[in-house]
Amino acid sequence: MPANPAVKQVSEVCWEIPTSYKPGMNVPARIYANVKLLENMDSGVIEQATNVACLPGIVRYSYAMADAHWGYGFPIGGVAAFDPEKGVISPGGVGFDVNCGMRLIRTNLSYSEVKPKVKELVDLIFNLVPAGVGVKGSQNFAQSQMGDITSLGVRWCAENDLAWEDDPQHVEEGGYIKGADISKVSRQAISRGVNQFGTLGSGNHYLEIQVVDPARYLDRDLAGEFGIVHDDQVMVMIHCGSRGFGHQVCTDYLRTFESGMRRFEIEVRDRDLACLPFSSKEGQDYYSAMVCAANFAFVNRQIIVNKVREAFSRVFHREADALDMHLIYDVCHNVAKVETHTYDGRTAKVLVHRKGATRSFGPGHPDVPAPYRKVGQPVIIGGSMETGSYLLVGTQKAMEETFGSTAHGSGRTMSRTAARREVRGAELQKKMLDRGIYVKAATMDGLAEEAGMAYKDISEVVETMDRAGISKKVVALRPVGNIKG
Amino acid sequence: MARGWLSSTPFRYLPDVALADIAFEAESSSVNGLFEECALAITDIMVDPGTLRNTSERSLALESENLDRLLYDFMTELIVIKDVDSLLFGRVRVVVSPSGTSLRAVLAGEPIDRERHRLRNDVKAVTMHLFGVKHEGTSWKTTVVLDI
Repeated sequence: MPANPAVKQVSEVCWEIPTSYKPGMNVPARIYANVKLLENMDSGVIEQATNVACLPGIVRYSYAMADAHWGYGFPIGGVAAFDPEKGVISPGGVGFDVNCGMRLIRTNLSYSEVKPKVKELVDLIFNLVPAGVGVKGSQNFAQSQMGDITSLGVRWCAENDLAWEDDPQHVEEGGYIKGADISKVSRQAISRGVNQFGTLGSGNHYLEIQVVDPARYLDRDLAGEFGIVHDDQVMVMIHCGSRGFGHQVCTDYLRTFESGMRRFEIEVRDRDLACLPFSSKEGQDYYSAMVCAANFAFVNRQIIVNKVREAFSRVFHREADALDMHLIYDVCHNVAKVETHTYDGRTAKVLVHRKGATRSFGPGHPDVPAPYRKVGQPVIIGGSMETGSYLLVGTQKAMEETFGSTAHGSGRTMSRTAARREVRGAELQKKMLDRGIYVKAATMDGLAEEAGMAYKDISEVVETMDRAGISKKVVALRPVGNIKG
Repeated sequence: MARGWLSSTPFRYLPDVALADIAFEAESSSVNGLFEECALAITDIMVDPGTLRNTSERSLALESENLDRLLYDFMTELIVIKDVDSLLFGRVRVVVSPSGTSLRAVLAGEPIDRERHRLRNDVKAVTMHLFGVKHEGTSWKTTVVLDI
């Protein structure tokens, strides 16, 4: 974006836009970015972050993280916290794909063991984890089970032999967010989602076999806290969300909110910022339905993990437990949650919207699983399939500055159509294979759209959040096998 | 003017509107035609229509509060049918009521066949971004941004 005189530098990687920038701003906006990221950030980020700052009941700041780019209403990479009594809830502040998120699983395998079997593993996982248009999962649940599944999430899975005993505690919120109510979810959403458990979806969703990349970054002490103990240890990362279920929840409630706003006489600068008081019946109904969708996504990723464990077990002829395929963690990056935070000299509940942003709770926080509490919550930030990803850890500074929030990924810089014009999927697939990354995609056009050139540099994003002290780098992970929808 | 990917229909993609999603503009001389173009655009985004055999038919009837909402609900219903019944439609006939608050449609298509169909992006939702039906002279137009 061209230099904007309204944007003032607060610290090395933090910039502020004051409330005087736009009439109606209740709080300033803050952007986390280094100079290069800020210069290349689309101008829509400032516009949208300052529009969000105008919403009723917002507290402290409207945030945009280092990977921010233009979205619908809220920027992707946006964070905003609201007073639960006086503030609003906004489906645009969550996103269509409720609890799109990341899950990271470790193995005790070295790359030298996995390298000769990457193709076999990827091909097998591609068959076990459907991806692409209209796919159905192999896990058949009945519609009558959806209430329990979306209330208890991964805990339900553990109670029904679909998760290991320690899986739930290694998922954000212990594997399920409280407050789900399936009666607030439409028949259409249930019908769309019931057959989609264990599917990857498409777009920017992926499943990746990765290797620790010490040449790029490795903090051995911190990595050891998460069971990463070898310099060429193999991991598996999953990026997907709530599938048609979550999308339909958002679709349904955007409609409800549009008509509700007239009743509450709420006006917003952008139609995509449709919102209602969190305390209203509609606001509470949306929250309950959104929580169902969030828990759906946790279960979806759990079913996929089961298939990944099965694939590794079959290829390496050992039980997944013997391969130490335990979850490191699972994080949401599209969600609104009621959390307790200390800000402006008081401790209170706030409704935190994270849209393309990740929770980053610091050491000692009671919501960080006990095994990690002394170091902080794992933060999984996924890059493009060419550049790799990172594991980081949450910090006390995040709690003090950003309601415990950080970036979520690279952020797109180029549209899908533009990427398809620049890149041919088959050529990209071959180029990646030459670089040692075996990619299997549901469609070649979809692959082209996800080329690395269409995304920001993940290392710049991660470095920025590390320098801001919001999330601290633990280890870089490079891809060796990738499945794309 | 860029058309659909390989099709000759009058909808056109808008590459600069949405970074992570897909946007198109549709235009027709009739409101029925506009609805049909939007349906075909959604199909074109999901599959090469040249690989679809339109062998089974489904009828659809919808009601909504106004014309904008009717088109939005119609496109949403196509996405729901794709997920619930795995059906994609390559031929669409729509009749919108004079009040613009209801429609009847006949959709011809077939179940998704991963071996035979050249599948593309999975459309997950219709956004409200830039959305609205415009009637300018003899032309009916709309801009649609789809969540992928």
